[in-house]
Amino acid sequence: MSFTWKSALEKLSEQRKVAEALGGPDRIERQHSQGRLTVRERIARISEDFTEVGEFAGFSVRDSSGAEVGQLSSSYVCGLATIDGRQVALGGEDFTVRAGAPQTYLDRYKGGMGGFVEDLAHAYRIPLVMFMEGIGGDVSAQDEVGHSYLVSSMSWKRSLELLGEVPVLVAVLGSAAGGTAGRAVLSHFSVISSGSVMFAGGPPVVRRALGQDVDKHELGGAEMHTSVSGAIDNLVADEDEAIRQMRTVLSYLPQNVWELPPRGDRTDPVDRSCDAILEIIPENRRRPYKMRDAMAEVVDRDSFFEMGPDWGRAVITAFARIDGIPVGLIGNNPMHLAGALDAAAAEKQIRFTDLCSTFHLPIVHFVDVPGFMVGPDAERGGVVRWGMRAIQALVDAEVPIVTIHVRKAYGMAVSATSDPDDLGLRIAWPSAEWGDMPIEGGVEAGFRREVEASSDPEKFRREIEERMLAAADPWKTVEAFGMEMMIDPRETRRVVADFLNASLNAMNTKLGRREKPWTLRP
Amino acid sequence: MHDVTAELSGSVWKILVAEGATVAANEEILILESMKMEIPVVAPVAGTVALLPVAEGDSVDAGTLLARLC
Repeated sequence: MSFTWKSALEKLSEQRKVAEALGGPDRIERQHSQGRLTVRERIARISEDFTEVGEFAGFSVRDSSGAEVGQLSSSYVCGLATIDGRQVALGGEDFTVRAGAPQTYLDRYKGGMGGFVEDLAHAYRIPLVMFMEGIGGDVSAQDEVGHSYLVSSMSWKRSLELLGEVPVLVAVLGSAAGGTAGRAVLSHFSVISSGSVMFAGGPPVVRRALGQDVDKHELGGAEMHTSVSGAIDNLVADEDEAIRQMRTVLSYLPQNVWELPPRGDRTDPVDRSCDAILEIIPENRRRPYKMRDAMAEVVDRDSFFEMGPDWGRAVITAFARIDGIPVGLIGNNPMHLAGALDAAAAEKQIRFTDLCSTFHLPIVHFVDVPGFMVGPDAERGGVVRWGMRAIQALVDAEVPIVTIHVRKAYGMAVSATSDPDDLGLRIAWPSAEWGDMPIEGGVEAGFRREVEASSDPEKFRREIEERMLAAADPWKTVEAFGMEMMIDPRETRRVVADFLNASLNAMNTKLGRREKPWTLRP
Repeated sequence: MHDVTAELSGSVWKILVAEGATVAANEEILILESMKMEIPVVAPVAGTVALLPVAEGDSVDAGTLLARLC
C-alpha cells in the first residue's frame, strides 16, 4: 500500500486510542470503584502541560494458543510535564495493565526501575516526579521470555545517582510491592494515600515464607509506614492531597543541585516581632510545649510544611521560607520522649539533613534536647550508632546552619545541632540551659562515692547540685563567648534572616554536586 | 472505646480527671513525670473516662494503660 497522509494520520489517531484506552473499561472501572485514579488522570491533575514519550509502546495480547487477540498499551506512562511553571520528568505505572508490572516486553523500560523517565531527569537536570502503583516483579514475564533472570542484571545506578542531582518526589497510590516499593523509597520526599499498601512481599508471599496470615494493611499499610517504619514520609487522605503535597515540596527545591532553590515572595516583614514565642515557651521549665508553633512563628507566614510528622517524633523536620529563602527546619520535640534523640528521630534527622545539604537549603535548628534517649529500649534500638550518624550528617552538611537554643541542650545529642568546625553560629534565647549532662543525674553519677560516704548523703548531694547549678547559669557561658549570641526571642526572625541573606553569598559559589554525596554511614 | 497508653516510662505525677468524667478531645487527663519533665497525657478523642487504672506516684512502663475512654 502506498503512503498517503490521510491513512498515515488515521493510523496515528487509531494508535492513540489504544494508548488512551489503558487496560480497558473494566479495569478502569475497578480502579475508580476502589477510589483510585488512573495514571493518565493523575498526570492530568498534577501538570498543566504534558508531552508524552512512548505513547504507542505496547504489546500484543495473545490467547492460550498464541494467536493475537488485541493490543494493549504498555504498563507505564511518562513524559515531560510542567508543574507550577516548572518542567519535570513525570511518570507512573498503569495499574490497569498487568498491574503496573515492569515493561519487560519493550526494548527499553519507560520507567519504574530506571528507564527513559529517569534518563530524562538525569540528562536535562529536571526533577523526577513519579506515581507508584505496581507489583514489582511479574512471574508471567519470565514465562514469556522462557528463562529466569537475576535481579542483579538490572542497574539501580541511575536511580541512586539522581538522588544527588535532582529532586525525586514520589506518591504511592494503591499497591507497591517488591521492585516498585524499592523504587519508591529511593526518593527525597514520599507520600502514601490512606488505604494504600507497600511491602517487600505481600500477604501471599508472607504466608508461603512464614506461614503467617496477615492483613495487607497491617503488614504494609500507609499508617504503618508513616508512623512505625518511616519508609514513607507523609500520610495523605487521598490522591488530591498527595498531588498538593508534592507540588508544595517541589516549591522549596531547585530544579537541580547546580541551582539555588527558588526564592519565594517577601511579603511577610522580615522585622516582624515574634511575640507569640513568649506565650508558647512556658515559664515552668518542666512543662513541654508545642515546638512546631515556635518554629512556625519565626518563618514566613504559611510557609511551614512538615515532612515525616508521624514517625521519629522526637524530632520535627520541616520545609519553610524566611524572607523568601527556602530553609530546612529541624526542631527537638519536647512533647515526645521529652525531645530526647532516639534511633528513629536520628534517622529522620539524618535523611532531612542530607536532603537540605544536597539542595542547598540552609538549616535552622531549634534545640531543646535532654540528650540521646536512655533506657533498655533505646539501647537495643541502637541509639548510640544512630545518634553518632546524626552528628556525622551535620558535620558533612555543606550548608549554613543557624542554631537557636530554646531550652535544654545536654549531652552528646547537642553535637547533632551545630558544627564547631564550620561557622557554628549558635543563638540562645534567655530560656535556654545547657551542660555536659543535666545537673541532677550528673551529680548522682559523678559523685556517687562521695555522696554515699557522707554522713548526710541527701544534704551533701543537694549542696553539690546547688553549686553546680550556680555555675550552669547560661549567662556565664555567653560572657565567655561559649555561645555566640543571646537575643530577645521576639527578634529571632530578623536576626536569622540577616544571616541567611548573608549566607547566600557562600551558597552562590558552592553550587553543584555535594563533595560528600548521599553517603553510607558507619 | 479508646485506650490511652504511656508513651514512655515514668511515674504518674498528677491525675486531673476522675473515672466517669467527661473529657473533650485534647483535654489533659493526667501528667506523667519522665525525663525530668511534666508530660501531659491528653484525651485523643472526646469521651467518658471509663477506666483510670493508675494512681498518683505509680511507676509506669511505656505502653501501660493509663485510661480508657468510651
